This record gives sequence, C-alpha cells and structure tokens, in this order.
Amino acid sequence: MTTYAVIRVLVLLLVLLPLLSAVVVPVFGRAARRVSLLLALVHLGLTAAVVVIAVAWFDTRTPISLPSVPTHDDFKVLRFRPEFVPGEAGPRVSSDVGGHTSWTLFSLQNKQTPPGKSGPNVQFYIGVDGLNVWLVALASLMLIPVILVSWESVKEKPGAFFGWLFLLQAGVIGAFLSFDVILFYIFFELTLIPAFFLIGKWGMGSGRRDAARKFFLYTLAGSLLTLVGVIGVVLTNPNPDGTITFSIPQLMVNVQQGLQTAHQKALAGDGTELAAKHATQFWLFLALMAGFMVKVPVWPFHTWLPSAYGEAPTGVTVMLSALMAKLGAFGILRLVLPLVPDAAILYGLPVIGGFAAFGIIYAALCAYASKDMKMVIAYSSVSHLGFLVLALFAFNKEGLSGAVLHMVNHGLSTGALFAALAFLVDRYNTTEMSKFGGLMGRFPGFALLFFVLCLASVGLPGLNNFVSEMLMMAGLFDARNAGVSRMWPAVIAAIGIFLSAWYTFTMLQRVFFNPLKEPEPVVPDVPVAGVSRREFVALGSLATVCLLLGLFPHVLLDTMKPDVRVLSIIGDSARARVGGVPYVYVDDEPKPKPLPAPPAPIIKGGDDKGGKDKKGGKKGGKKDPKAEE
Amino acid sequence: MTDPLLQQTLKGVFRLAAPETTLIATACVVFLFGCLHNRRWLWFVVSLLGVGLAAVLAGTVKTQMPPLLTASALIPDGAAEFVRWVSLITAAVLLFVSWAEVDRSNASEYYGCLLIAAAGVSLVGRANDLITLFLALELLSIPTYVLLYLPAKNKLNQEAAAKYFLLSVMSSAVMLFGFSYLYGLTGSTNLTVITDALTKAHTESLNPMALVGAVLVIAAIGFRITAVPFHFYAPDVYEGGPAGVVAQLAFFPKLAGFVALARLLGLLGADVRHIPFDANTQLPLLIWILAALTMCIGNVLALLQDNVRRMLAYSSVAHGGYMLMGIVIASSLPDATGQPGIGGVDALLVYLVAYGMMTIGAFAVILFLSTPERPVDSIDDLAGVGKSNPICAVAMTIFLFSLIGLPLTAGFAGKLLLFVGAFSAPTHTPAMRNLYQVMAVIAAVNAAVGAYYYLRVVGVMYFRTPLRPATRSRAVPTFLAAVALAGATLFFGIYPEPIVKAARKAVPVPAAPQKAVAETR
Repeated sequence: MTTYAVIRVLVLLLVLLPLLSAVVVPVFGRAARRVSLLLALVHLGLTAAVVVIAVAWFDTRTPISLPSVPTHDDFKVLRFRPEFVPGEAGPRVSSDVGGHTSWTLFSLQNKQTPPGKSGPNVQFYIGVDGLNVWLVALASLMLIPVILVSWESVKEKPGAFFGWLFLLQAGVIGAFLSFDVILFYIFFELTLIPAFFLIGKWGMGSGRRDAARKFFLYTLAGSLLTLVGVIGVVLTNPNPDGTITFSIPQLMVNVQQGLQTAHQKALAGDGTELAAKHATQFWLFLALMAGFMVKVPVWPFHTWLPSAYGEAPTGVTVMLSALMAKLGAFGILRLVLPLVPDAAILYGLPVIGGFAAFGIIYAALCAYASKDMKMVIAYSSVSHLGFLVLALFAFNKEGLSGAVLHMVNHGLSTGALFAALAFLVDRYNTTEMSKFGGLMGRFPGFALLFFVLCLASVGLPGLNNFVSEMLMMAGLFDARNAGVSRMWPAVIAAIGIFLSAWYTFTMLQRVFFNPLKEPEPVVPDVPVAGVSRREFVALGSLATVCLLLGLFPHVLLDTMKPDVRVLSIIGDSARARVGGVPYVYVDDEPKPKPLPAPPAPIIKGGDDKGGKDKKGGKKGGKKDPKAEE
Repeated sequence: MTDPLLQQTLKGVFRLAAPETTLIATACVVFLFGCLHNRRWLWFVVSLLGVGLAAVLAGTVKTQMPPLLTASALIPDGAAEFVRWVSLITAAVLLFVSWAEVDRSNASEYYGCLLIAAAGVSLVGRANDLITLFLALELLSIPTYVLLYLPAKNKLNQEAAAKYFLLSVMSSAVMLFGFSYLYGLTGSTNLTVITDALTKAHTESLNPMALVGAVLVIAAIGFRITAVPFHFYAPDVYEGGPAGVVAQLAFFPKLAGFVALARLLGLLGADVRHIPFDANTQLPLLIWILAALTMCIGNVLALLQDNVRRMLAYSSVAHGGYMLMGIVIASSLPDATGQPGIGGVDALLVYLVAYGMMTIGAFAVILFLSTPERPVDSIDDLAGVGKSNPICAVAMTIFLFSLIGLPLTAGFAGKLLLFVGAFSAPTHTPAMRNLYQVMAVIAAVNAAVGAYYYLRVVGVMYFRTPLRPATRSRAVPTFLAAVALAGATLFFGIYPEPIVKAARKAVPVPAAPQKAVAETR
C-alpha cells in the first residue's frame, strides 16, 4: 500500500503545486516564463505518475453489480468511488466504498459525533476516479502549450500573467478532483478571479475590460443560483440518522435510497411522496443548471462567450475553451445527473436538450457568418458543447462515456486550434479572415498542423473527436428517454456535425487557399518567420495526442467504464421511476473481458515518438499491466 | 433587600462589567490629561494599553451566572462574551486604522470617544435590562456624535454630523416608546422577566400590544442596522464623515443593533419556544420583508453610485439585509420539525465578524490612500492603484471579493451559513410556507447584483492607468491594520472553523421544540 500512500500525496500536490506556483512565479519577473514552463512540466510529470498508477488501480477494482430486483440497501453501491483521497485515516480496507477524508474545513455539527462517523462537515475531500482522471490530465497538459504560445506575446508583467494562469489551472483541477459539493463550488468559483484579471489586464482589444466584467458577472450570477441549488440538495437529502452531509458519494446514496423508498410507495399506489420529490427536484435542477448552463455555455446563455474569447489573449482563450468550458459540463456530470436524476430525465433532454439543440444549429450558423477566425472557433466550440450537453442528458452508457471522452477531446482540439491562432496573432496581430489568403504556400508547416487540428475538430475518422462524437450519437439514439418520441436530438446533432465541416472548411479555404494575401506584419521590414521550434512543440504535441486518442480511445473508455456504469444505472432507475414501472437491473456487462484490440507494438511506437509528450508515455505505462493480463 | 441572592446578584454586576469599566476609565484618563498634553502617539499607546488591560480582565476575571437573573442588569452568557471579544478586538484595530486621520489637535478626544463606544457595544451584548440596554446604546451613540463633529471642517462634514445626530436621537425616542409598551405590559424593565411574562401571555392568547412594542423596537434598531426604510442617513453620513469614524460607524452600531434585536426578541435563549412573541403571528414575515427590502434596495442604489464611500454605504445597507436573514431564520425555529442544523443567530454572528473585517478594511484602505489635498472620493480616484500602490490594491481587492462573497474569503463562509440556515427553515407553517427558500434565492440574486459594483472598483484599480501620483502616506498603523484585516479575511475564508466554532459556542443551536419532538414520536 505504499504506492497508494505516495499517490495520495501526489493527488494533493496536483492542486497545491499550481497554487504554490501562482504565488512563486510572479517573483521571478522576466524569468517567469522559464520558471513556469519548468513548473508546468513538473506538474505534468506528477499527473503522469498519478494517471499511470490510478489507471492500473482502476483495472483491479471489482465492478459493481445489483440483484435484478434491487432493494433499498442495494442502492448504496450507486456512488462515485474516489481513490487516493488525501487525509484518509488509516489504510484502505475495501475498494467498494471509495476513500474518505478526515480533513474538515468547517463543521455544522451540534454535538460531538462518535469517532469514525462523519458529521455534517464541509471537508477537503478530493480524489481520483474514472471520470476525472483524464480531465485532470488534460488540465495539466494544456498549460504547456498555453505557456508556449504566450511566450513572446505577453510583454507586460509576464510574472503576474503566468501566476494567474497557474491559479486558473489550480481552480480547474480542484473542481475536477472535488468530492465535496461545497469544495467543488469553491474551486468552481475560484476560476473566475484569475480569468477576470487575465482577460481584463492582458486582453487584446479595447473592449477587454467590459468583456472581463461581463464574463465575471454573468458566470457569478449563474453560479450563485447553483450554490442555492447545492444547498438545497444537501438539505433535502440527509443521512438516515438525520444529519446532513456534503460528500457527493454519500449524497448520491441518500438520493437513491430516498427515491427508492418513494418509488416503492408509488408502485404500491401512494404516489404523493414521489411526486413531492419530483417537484423538489425540478426546482433544484433549475437552480443547479443555472450556473452550469452559463458556464458551458448553452444557448441562450452564451452571450458572454464571444466577447470573452475574442478579447482574451490567445493563451487565455485556450485555457477558457479547453478547460473552463469543461467545468460546466463536468458539473452536470458530477452534480446534476447523480443528485437530481429524475429531473434530469424529465427535463434534461426535452428542455435543456432543446436549448442545446437549438444552440448547435444557431452557433454553427454564427460560426459560418463570423469574419474572424477566433470567432469561428469560439462559435464552433458553443456548437460542439451543445452536442456534449445533449449526450450527457441522454443519460445512458454510450452517451455518458462519449460525453466524458468528448470533454477531453474537445478540450484538446479546440484548445489546440486557439493555440494555433497565436501563430498568426504573434506575426500579424489579427485573425480577421478577409486579411489572409493563400497561407498554404506561405507557411506550409503551419498549414499542415492547422489542417490536422481542423480535421480533428470536424471529426474525421482516425482522429479523436470522431470516436467521441460517434459514441454520443449512439447515446442519443435512445428511444427510452421521456419526451423524446423521435430521434430529433440525434438528427440535429448530425446536422451540427455536417455544419461544422462546412464552416471549418470554408475557413480553411478562405485563409489557406485562394491567392496569397497577408496583412501588415507586426514588425515591418523583417521577413515573417515560419513555425518556430517552440510553436512546433506546442502544436505538434497536441496534434499527436489528438491522433493517439483517435487511435486508442479505449484506454480512456476502459478507465471510466465502472463510473459511467454507476451513472447509467442511476439513469435507468430514474427512467423507471419517471415511467412508473418497477426498476429491473439488467446486467449487460459482457462477462469475458474483450482483449484490447490494437497489438502492443503500435503502442510502443507511439511511446517512442512522443518522447516529450507525456501522454504517450502514460499510455505506454498503462498498457503494461494489461499486456500481462 | 434582605434576600442574600439578590444582594449577591446586585454586587456581582460590577464584576461582570470589569473590562468595560476599564475602557471607560482609560477614556477618562485620556480625556482629562489630553487637555494638558495632546500627543498622538502618547494617547494611542495609552488607549491601546487600556484595551489590552480590558482584554486581560475579560480573559482572567471569572464570572458566573448571577443567581437571580430576574434582578440582574447584566447577563454574562455566550453571546455576551462573543460580543465583548469582538468589540475589544475591533477597538484595537480601529485605533490602528484611525492613526491616519488623528492629529495633535484632537488625539485625546478621538481615542477617548473610540474607547467609550467600544465599551458601549460590549455592554449592549450583556444588557439584561431595558434601561441598561438603552444606556449602553447611548454610550455608543454619543461618542459617535463627537467623533463625527471633531474634524468637521466643511459643510459636508457638518451635514453628516447633524444628520446622524438628529436621526439617532429620533430613533432613541422611538425605542424608548417601544420600551414603555414592554414595561407597561409586564411591569418590569428586566428582560428575563419580560421574556417570561410575554411568553406565558402569548401562549394563552394573542397580545397585540406586545406586537406594537416589538414593531417600535424593530424600527428603532432598524436605524442602527441601516435597515430599509431607516437607512436614509447612511449615504450622506458615510460620504461626509471622516473615513476612520465611518469604519467604526459601519460596524459598531450593526453589531450592537443585531445583538440587541436578538436579545429583545428572545432569540439568544436555549429554548426556541421560549420567545416573547408568537412566531405564528406576522413577526417573522415582518423581518422577512425588512430583510428582502434592505438587500434589494441597498444593492440597487449602490449600483448608481460614483462615490466610493456612498457605494460602501449602500453596500453596508445591503449587508444589513443579508444579516437580517439570520434573525428571520432564528425566529422561524419555534416551528422547526427536527433538530435544526443552524440556529440563525450563529450564522449572523459569523457574518457580522466577516462583515466587520471586510468593511473596516475597505475604509482603512481608503483612509490610507487619501491625503488632505487629494481625498479618495469618487471611484475614479482609485484608478491605477494596482500600479501605484500594489499592496493596498491587493488588500482592497480581497475585501471587495469578500463583500461579493467569493469562496476562500470570509464573506463566503458567512453567506454559506445564512443560505444553509434559510434552506433548513421549516416550510410547513401557513404564514411563511417556502418563503425562507425564496429569501435565499433573493439573497443569491442580490449577491450577483452586488458583484457588479464591487467588481467595478476592482476593474478601476487594476485596468486603468493612475490619474495621480502615488500618495506618500506615512500612516503605517493604518496600513498595518488594512494588511492584517486582509490576511484575516483570507485566513478565515480558507479555514472558517475557528469563527464558526466560536459563534456556535456563543449561541448554541437551540434544542428542537418539545412539541415537535413529541409529534414525531
């Protein structure tokens, strides 16, 4: 268990190191960018260690199973199972429950609770499970290209700039790792402060202050309602002994058991309790979704996004699109789906899904009409995230695993596209499409990288987004969902994919083909240089990861499988409750584990190629225990 | 007078007020010898020593509950201890803060008045008698008139002083009128007697006279806690008064007012059913409306302000509204069905401490950045402070974020507790139903509205270029106080347990009402 203890410390460091870096980096002044690159690499190394061990550990966990007619007590397995929880007292006894922590931030208990029993405490409860491990890896990885593309362009107070970047990363990683509702909210809100300063102080245009303020206020307004919703969930789902709890896994169990009791009564003919619970869930669902819809953003709450993405410095736009936008989707996954499942079934797809579906088409058309490349990618991000939200609310195994995978993939490809724009910003200080033309001949290296990233974003088979989009699409073809009589979500999503190809290729055509046309360079009289080594590393590594994830997605999918199963069972039982039928557990797990499809040598190759690319390394590390099987 | 218990009680009263007596004695020394030798540093040190001595006495003098609470003018319960410590610490902090605006001509008067005001707040916390309570509140008000008038050099200052004086006297009159009803109904000025008598009376039949008394008292205290519609003086006084005095004015009357309100409404007792007013009448609803109005109007009017002090004035009105939520929650408890998780008053105390840190801190920064030639009045005067005075800007930013209620600041801990309390309030009573939850939503929306004007100040400080050269202020103590308060705001935001524990120890969550327990069985 010593490895386990070490990883526990490392998990804590994943949050603390960026926080420390945020304090340390500004001290270095001019040398800050080198120091921050070093620190980011150290963080990536730590993350790689955590991911490799965690993924191997997750493979040894026993998958949960329920009897075909589960009773009240059986529902207690329907919980997230965080591993490597720092602050856990004593060694782990069983992996069925997941870790606990004893680190209390503050306590609301009236009298002394007996030791060993958790009181109504807000705790520093972080841990790793299959849903967040790859998102943490993404958050750790993305900081490196962000630092590299901001290398030259940030001239004013680079120390402070990189410090804020680290704080942003700490907030995002903390939110991904949190298993306490209040802690999640704290990290969720913490990201606002660095983003506000990054946009307002280092932004590009004259409207940066307004953009920063709009972003801050809009997001804050939504998330304060989320706080109300969070408190409502906590107070309406107390433990059996009446004390309240803030731990997400415990809340999940309480929610399930409470609903199960009400469901039994409803089946026996007394539906008032279930109806009351559904009414409560409706309001809580609305309150919780208020913050997440703004953060994702889902149409019509996206209006902060164009100005924020447009005004922010390119590096920050990468952070916003790759990481911050995922927080909203992750909040739906971590809080909304497990804690208000029935409302998610009842109103998720019909209402929120309706918004998201409209947003897919609307944002795609906006992207087509945009004159600035940054705006094209910003709106394409809105469009793709609408698809992601649809898939989350499909609330079945395919949709959920596709959505989690797409969070990683979309973060990579959209983040990388924004990072690629930094190439043009550094040289010409503009990304307006009408000013460019024929760049294919001018910068062949850049064109190649940009094409790969665009194709990934469109969803070309072989690249990462294809897999997740197919899975999400499969999830949307679920006729069981209430209020979905036809396949309209899937059809709209398919139209969205088509439109995405349309506007992306139009952009490529205008900028890279046509006769050569380029605006006035930033430094006149000096020939504009091609892709530098720094830029090549930044973009090339991301493109490589896109390719690798497209070829070997099952590495990620295998890790998240048990946790996705927990959620999909929650979804199934919610469907049964909404439909008024008894819930029957169907064990659809194939008993013999299918062998990993790709042969080992290919992975070795990927490992060699990505020498500085830690993700490749992680996969290699992850493969080994599997090969031994 | 022959009852030994009565004698013991009456003699023990002096022991209960030893630290306050020390404060006032120090103030007298400062006043007396100040005429002979008015030096800032001398009286600063003497006052600080006085506060320190009071703190030592507060920590060492062992007190016990008076044997006859019905005759005792003071009550040394948990809430009283909490208020005493808060007011002593605040007095020390304010001594530091005010360094920048005290000069040779008024040092002794300034510090003396400050000490007396602190003693007044502390006595309000432990007053168990209508007369003691009234005198303690006046002990807080009268020095404030002097403080406001001391540096009154121009019309604006004088307007502030006059306005505060007139309205304060008026509110005292209303309070006395309310007290006369309470006395008339029960025949005693002792709060324990009043509470017992009224509790017994309202369980038998509804007593409209008690309600009239309660309304008058709430109106009078509403003036001190700047509840809408008794808030009209706040913006003018905050704008015209000296910043250090305003810092005091923004906190001490609120602390005193809320504790007095909780004490008069019987919310500090251990039994939720033992309150002098029937919770089923409109009392919770009245305070609910007061709270909602106060936060909404305070926030909306703050949006319109260009003067940073007026903005902070309206912000303090709005925060008064958030804190009133605590009283609403506490007054809802008689109908609770189970053991409540939050008592309301404990959340209120946590919020009060957080509010004190952030508001006094914000005024300390403004005071430090102001010079007589270039006072910080409009928000634009803060432009570019992030460059010219980075440490002050960081401190101010922490205070503003805390006022917004962002996580990792003390303001968040307070808001969280209030929201949890509002959500756990009972929903089955016919008068209120789920109005408590609605109140939490109103507060959340208000917090978002409030973020707009606080953020504007942050934006001005960091995203604009300085309009004027960096001020060379020498007021190191003010600066130290601001930095210390910023550190405390951050510390108690990250680890709020100490305050939460202290507040919950001071005002334990009352036990579940007996009736409800019996019903559930």
